[in-house]
Amino acid sequence: MNQLALLVALPLITAFLLPVVNRVSTLAARWVGPLVLLLTSAIGISLWPQLGDSAVAVELGGFRPPLGISLYADRMALLFALATSIGTLLLWPSRGEEWLRQSTLALILAASGSGLALSGDLFNIYVFYELVAVVSYGLIAARSSAGSFAATLRYLIVSSFGAALALTGIALVYQATGTLNLAQLSRLAPTHLNNLQGLSAFVLMLIGFGVKAELFPVNTWVPEVYATAPTRVSGLLAGVVSKLALLIIVRLLVLVFNQPEALTVMLVLGMLGVVTGELAAWRARDFNRMIAYSSIGQLGIMFIAFSIPGEAGVFAGLAVALHHLVVKPAMFLLAERWQGSLHRLAGAARTSPLGAALFVLLALSLIGVPPLPGFWAKLLVMVNLMAQENTLYMAGAWVIMGGAALEANYLFRVASSFYHRSDEQSSPAAHRTRDLATASLLGAGLLAGAVLIMPLADEIEGIASQAASKNRYVQTVNPEVLP
Amino acid sequence: MQRLSSALFLLGLGLLIAAIFRGMEFGTAAPIVGQAINSAAAEQVGAANFVTAVVLGYRGFDTLLELTILFTAATAGGLVLGKRSPTAKRDPDAGFILQAGADLLFPLLVIVGLYIILHGHLTPGGGFQGGVILASAFFIPILARPGTRMSHAAVSTIEGLAGASFIFIGLLAMFGGEAFLTPLMDRGELGALLSAGSLPLLYLAVGLKVGSELAGLLTHLSESEAVD
Repeated sequence: MNQLALLVALPLITAFLLPVVNRVSTLAARWVGPLVLLLTSAIGISLWPQLGDSAVAVELGGFRPPLGISLYADRMALLFALATSIGTLLLWPSRGEEWLRQSTLALILAASGSGLALSGDLFNIYVFYELVAVVSYGLIAARSSAGSFAATLRYLIVSSFGAALALTGIALVYQATGTLNLAQLSRLAPTHLNNLQGLSAFVLMLIGFGVKAELFPVNTWVPEVYATAPTRVSGLLAGVVSKLALLIIVRLLVLVFNQPEALTVMLVLGMLGVVTGELAAWRARDFNRMIAYSSIGQLGIMFIAFSIPGEAGVFAGLAVALHHLVVKPAMFLLAERWQGSLHRLAGAARTSPLGAALFVLLALSLIGVPPLPGFWAKLLVMVNLMAQENTLYMAGAWVIMGGAALEANYLFRVASSFYHRSDEQSSPAAHRTRDLATASLLGAGLLAGAVLIMPLADEIEGIASQAASKNRYVQTVNPEVLP
Repeated sequence: MQRLSSALFLLGLGLLIAAIFRGMEFGTAAPIVGQAINSAAAEQVGAANFVTAVVLGYRGFDTLLELTILFTAATAGGLVLGKRSPTAKRDPDAGFILQAGADLLFPLLVIVGLYIILHGHLTPGGGFQGGVILASAFFIPILARPGTRMSHAAVSTIEGLAGASFIFIGLLAMFGGEAFLTPLMDRGELGALLSAGSLPLLYLAVGLKVGSELAGLLTHLSESEAVD
């Protein structure tokens, strides 16, 4: 199981060597990045059957935790590590003037995203998180327009603020327990962190890591960044990176901060996210901003879902997260040619019929129209929220319903304008084949999910029950008991 | 509205931090991991400088990532920084004193930098600190003579190979069936120059990478055109 480290090490060593390879052969430098990502994806897939019902831990450097850093892989962690590799491969940066630097950054993003999913040490998670942040600054600014610089600067400030908060939270945890290993923290949490200090540490980390997960008060960077960054990068950030941040928060909730107050904070922030995100998306008059705000709303639903206590919450949240992971990147790929004002899009179905059809499919699933996977995911969240028999959770269910109504309104408005005859000559250009092919692949995956919904749901439930088990984590990592 | 919400947010944050400090007794941290490392590092890692034992041994993976953050920042900086048009004017060379001083400093800085890197496992310092000194050794002559060019090819080759060799040493352990980044070779005698297994090699890789990266970034900065 030592191969787990390869998911991080291989893309990193390739990124370091890429400028050197480019001096020898430009052709090799162009292809080595995607090939290495194919290789890491293959390694990840080959590890999947070995995991089965058990989880594995790797003691990096051969030092037993909590002294050394450990990697932990259950099926949820491996799934998201794989999603990072495959997602980066699908959304590999287009060939521009700066393709070498962008490829380097994309490789580092794949490495750090996988590491974020697999790491079992709080400080190591922080370093990975910072790495993801620095990589995204570079990728967002790649268009080198004044707008993208302004958006990056805002993102940099919000993100650094979040990182500082998260670090404060980690320091509080370390102060109370004297360790950073998640498994050992999980052992110590009931006696050391079940108090106000523990709760505040969680809130600080929630807001800190929440910056990337587009959590309510710290998501002000989202619309500008997604409107000005290269669309493939926006797809990666909204689709994959936001889920990785969410994954950390879920791990912390399951393992360390098992307090009802922590869940309540997350529920309320999630509800605010849905309300503000969907309202802003409804008012947006620009395609990219609309899907950016809608992504804030969707992430809000995930926060609400994960705030349901126990295995049911992890199951529901994971379902919504995986659905969004497929839909949002496809939306951003379509946005490549549809940037700018929504008025401009009238009659877009004529120049790009497949793109318009795909948009309708994605929108239907996003709203939650049966029999698409989005419907089952939302249904699962609603049923579990209702089952809590608690006013606040009930309010959460109503907020999600209201959000869906708004979503239906603005997405249908755009979709119907595609099929209107436009009097002006300026219909947007047709999509590039590569963008359309990738988006179609994701759309096909969505349809396959709709057909195979029962086995898929069983699989996700299995993954969730494994991830929701605190004992399995502690026993697998098995940290040394220190005096 | 925006100011009001910012004020509310800061107020909440302030209350939160005040609440935390109220509940915390001063000087009561429980350094279980720290104490365990203090008693085990000499035997397990063999580096006389325990900070290095942590930085390259117990938490070598973190250090690899820190190295990557620096590399990423340099790469992203290269994306953002402007390019120089071939006709742009350069600053004139500095006067005699600065030029002679730079020439004198160069060998001294190289020796000090390498010394700090190679003794990182024995005394305070190491790859990061020594690397910065190496970078300044190569950058100061450029400040004195802005017309001279540093070879970008050489710098980026050293940088790439140094970073790759850090990971390669980690991967070598995996070929031997051990975990990634497990220290290799004999630990030797505590405090000797040749001790602590592969840790000095890792620090050499860190030093060369940090040095070439910073030197490259600084020259890139000095070469990008100023906007009038």
